Amino acid sequence: MKQIEVKNLDFSYDEQTHAVKNVSFSIEKGSYTTIIGHNGSGKSTIAKLMIGLLEKNSGEIFVDGLPLTLENLQEIRNKVGIVFQNPDNQFIGSTVRDDIAFGLENHCVEPEKMDEIINEFAKKVNMVEFLDSEPTKLSGGQKQRVAIAGVLAMAPEIMIFDESTSMLDPQGKNEINEVIRELHAKTKMTLVSITHDIEEVTKSDFVIVMNNGQIVMSGKPEEIMMREKELLKSNLDLPFSLKIIKELEKNKIKLNKSVTLEGLVDELCQLNSTK
Amino acid sequence: MSIEFNKVGYIYSEKTPFEYAALHDVDLKFSEGKVTAIIGATGSGKSTLVQHLNALLLPSSGKLNILNFEIVAKQKATNLKALRSHVGLVFQFPEYQLFEETILKDLCFGPKNFGATEEEAQEKAIRALKLVGLDQSYLEKSPLDLSGGQKRRVAIAGILAMDPDVLVLDEPTAGLDPQGAIAMMSLFKELNQKFGKTVLVVTHDMEHVLNYCDEVVVMKKGEVYSHTTVHEFFKDTTYLDELHILPPSVVRFRQMLNERGFHLPNDCYDMKTLCALIAKEVKNHG
Repeated sequence: MKQIEVKNLDFSYDEQTHAVKNVSFSIEKGSYTTIIGHNGSGKSTIAKLMIGLLEKNSGEIFVDGLPLTLENLQEIRNKVGIVFQNPDNQFIGSTVRDDIAFGLENHCVEPEKMDEIINEFAKKVNMVEFLDSEPTKLSGGQKQRVAIAGVLAMAPEIMIFDESTSMLDPQGKNEINEVIRELHAKTKMTLVSITHDIEEVTKSDFVIVMNNGQIVMSGKPEEIMMREKELLKSNLDLPFSLKIIKELEKNKIKLNKSVTLEGLVDELCQLNSTK
Repeated sequence: MSIEFNKVGYIYSEKTPFEYAALHDVDLKFSEGKVTAIIGATGSGKSTLVQHLNALLLPSSGKLNILNFEIVAKQKATNLKALRSHVGLVFQFPEYQLFEETILKDLCFGPKNFGATEEEAQEKAIRALKLVGLDQSYLEKSPLDLSGGQKRRVAIAGILAMDPDVLVLDEPTAGLDPQGAIAMMSLFKELNQKFGKTVLVVTHDMEHVLNYCDEVVVMKKGEVYSHTTVHEFFKDTTYLDELHILPPSVVRFRQMLNERGFHLPNDCYDMKTLCALIAKEVKNHG
């Protein structure tokens, strides 16, 4: 079942900046979709259009079959949680605890249950000891953790992440991504992640590649990630495994195309032992 | 001339209920004319550390020597403006340092502030914008209308326009697309090699540390945990495990192969060389 459907979406900030050009795609309920593309390709703009933060020039957006219109806006926003690129733009509370509570209050969560939920999610993102700190005094990565906890706690049906782990250290990033994937598996929420992280793309079900406001490719990551010329043309980097495959080819070793390092290692080890 | 921290401590919101010690007795000497990476978990004190370099934060204890300037805790610092013309800092969130109506005005602000005439400032602005890969059509746009990655480029250009001797960058590639990130890191490396700039870069990206940096400082809980050359740093993967650092792909790949019977040298960091060695080993096996 389609949870999000976007048809012929068009948007420009002003006469010069035509950010989204006739974009159509759909996202299955419960799926994990990544959106990649160079800076300024329109990724964040699409996210903002999907929750009605920006108003489209033309085209249609449906969430659970509901058209995104002024009348339906509140109902749609209740289904969608979003974490922005810069977490400072979404802090409201004077402490981390208040900040997570704010979203819950808006969702009419009973006060007795609130503490438990706040603690649970603060624990998931490893920020329990900071519950009484001011969000503005935290480091960049810690802010991102709090912003993610605040949105996850509201248990939205659809979760949009806009480069929301860009300032975490690699281990922290893995931890948070693990938490998100766990929740995704458990709650069957629909996950949309805007990212530059190729590793993350390989773990998603579906990837959309943007270039200059348009979708240039979309499909399964293992197929898309092997389309070298198109990736480079869209200003994206090749996955490490593809670089290795190309380099080994120059050395007259031919391998099957695998997106994961583990796959490559298996194959090389086989070559090394059977010959 | 040096960049040296002597027993530097920093406490946020001192004497309030929110008091928080972010740096403890940091002793550190950065090598001039090198590219040094500063790494560590979130909240380990990296941003606090680098904000001392142009005296945005003044130490709560200890002493700093930066180029010809000395900053001592609890003493009135003088000449900070001169220091700031020599040390350029790009923040973690670049939008905080963009404020003018147009990009041109924004880029001219720094040079003019440090005494350049309008024409000189414009010339520097245009040159800096070109360095970060944006063309002149951007000059009259508002910096606030740009995408996240473009804002970051403009913020970096604003610092380059001041032509500082020391460039301090706090996660300069967070939010940049991969090609943009590579272009930016290459630019810093080039500024270092061609013009002898000292570059200090806070990063989480181990590929960047390996490919563009000379030395690594590891921060942990507000202290300097280690300070080594990059090649030394990536040699010992057990040490990296201890620090919970995922090694760069090429190191990981080599390690995975060696664990399964390959014999690849652990000081090989170049992908091409490594692939040639792998090919040789596979062919010899037959």
